[in-house]
Amino acid sequence: MKIDVGDYKGNKVVSLAGEIDMHSSPALRERLLVLIRERPQRLVVNFRDVSYIDSSGIATFVEGLKHMRTYNGRLQFSEIPQGIMEIFSFSKLDKVFEICGTLDEAVNC
Amino acid sequence: MPDYRLTELEKKIDDLKMLMDVSAIISSTLDLGELTALVMEKAKHVMRADACSILLFNRKTGRLEFDVALCTDARDGEILRQQVTLELGEGIAGWVAEHQEPVLVKNAADDSRFFTRADALTGFTTKSIIAVPLVGREGLIGVAEIMNPRERDSFSGHDLEIFLALCRQVAVAMENALYHKDALERQRLRQELELAATIQQSFLPVSPVKEMGPFRLTGITIPAKHVGGDLYDFVEPLPGKAGLFIGDISGKGVSAALFMAKVMGDFRYQAHGIADPGMVLQRLNQQLSDTPRGMFLTAIYAIADQQTGSVAVAVAGHPPLLWITAEGVTVLRPDAGPPVGICDTDFPVKEIMLAPGDRLIMMTDGVFDARDCNGLRLGFDEVVSFVGHNRQQDCLPELMVGRVSEFVGDAERADDLTIVEMRYGV
Repeated sequence: MKIDVGDYKGNKVVSLAGEIDMHSSPALRERLLVLIRERPQRLVVNFRDVSYIDSSGIATFVEGLKHMRTYNGRLQFSEIPQGIMEIFSFSKLDKVFEICGTLDEAVNC
Repeated sequence: MPDYRLTELEKKIDDLKMLMDVSAIISSTLDLGELTALVMEKAKHVMRADACSILLFNRKTGRLEFDVALCTDARDGEILRQQVTLELGEGIAGWVAEHQEPVLVKNAADDSRFFTRADALTGFTTKSIIAVPLVGREGLIGVAEIMNPRERDSFSGHDLEIFLALCRQVAVAMENALYHKDALERQRLRQELELAATIQQSFLPVSPVKEMGPFRLTGITIPAKHVGGDLYDFVEPLPGKAGLFIGDISGKGVSAALFMAKVMGDFRYQAHGIADPGMVLQRLNQQLSDTPRGMFLTAIYAIADQQTGSVAVAVAGHPPLLWITAEGVTVLRPDAGPPVGICDTDFPVKEIMLAPGDRLIMMTDGVFDARDCNGLRLGFDEVVSFVGHNRQQDCLPELMVGRVSEFVGDAERADDLTIVEMRYGV
């Protein structure tokens, strides 16, 4: 899995590519928690090039979300491919995470 | 033969004997600590030296640490083991480790690489020293050193040759001992995991089949590794009610197994005396709200009424249920809550009226997410189709497991797999 951290219109964006599973999620967790320690008001995760996510990957985002909730921060997901969106809908995680179509939609809402 | 030739020959015989003795020591033990201490004791004795040591390279810290240090005073060895570590490049041993080349230093005091702190701590005075890298198939193991020859001012080129020959044997033996240590550790971990699997199994129902009035409940779970995060349970929350619970903990391995044990305990406590499966999931959700590392549980809890055949179902982020009737298979996607342990929420309840012969099948994602050798997934639709074709079969959960195994073939199964069935009118 590839993790790129950048800025988009003044917001931190984590762009991911590849498979998020039990092997890759520890590295993602480390990067995510370092970013969240800065207490950003908004953190956008772009899923455009993600091909798979398993439950340990989802747990990484749940942990991040729980941290951000403590200071009313927003964890947003954008550009989720259809296959990944099915996993999110299947598990009703679309009720938990803030899901946006595009990066612009995420930073503008 | 002149006397000096005779002395030389005698010395060579002694050296060969020493190497043979070392070889015998090496084949006598696979205990790394014992091996290094015995070999260095022998080397110190035969090379008539005041002190010798082995420093091991710690791959995690990138530093050299004293493993054996045989000095004239035994306490000095303890001081070195406890107080001295070297960076690569630091001191003569560090230089040897970094360059992986042996050195013979006739007078340590004249050598700029010499690390004086060790002598300062012990009171020992290093004069002449030979240091040799111990290198195995996977790189640097450590450095062996021998210090201060007795009855001579410094070591010779011949001493270096002998010590090099000895260290070559020692390096191979140490590597074998390290492999043996790793193998023992792996065996110990495997035994621990097997024990953990047995303990985990004890949390599941004693029998995988339970008859409760007109209902027959069946469960199969197969962890991907020795221990997993899938679970199921059969309960009778109230007289005349049959409860079927299936869950999947996020992640795998020991952490998921420990969390599974907690969930089973909490579920049984919360389920007792309550006929509303949504309420049980809600209470479980409150109890598990503070899970470590974002761990969560997807689950279905179904409570059947033994008199009427009606079933109340609550779902927490779990894959859909399959309802098998005389006509075919229906995929049930009732309004559901998110997985348990993430946020404060409600879990709606769906009522289903079963007819005699109807069956409900629930599964974890390990069933339809199973991958074959090419990385292709079995897929939920394929599972539904398989169940549809085999809906008249009696042992449907076993057949489903067989289908997954056939699909996966020789590929390693990455996820736990659990299937439960609630059959009405047995």
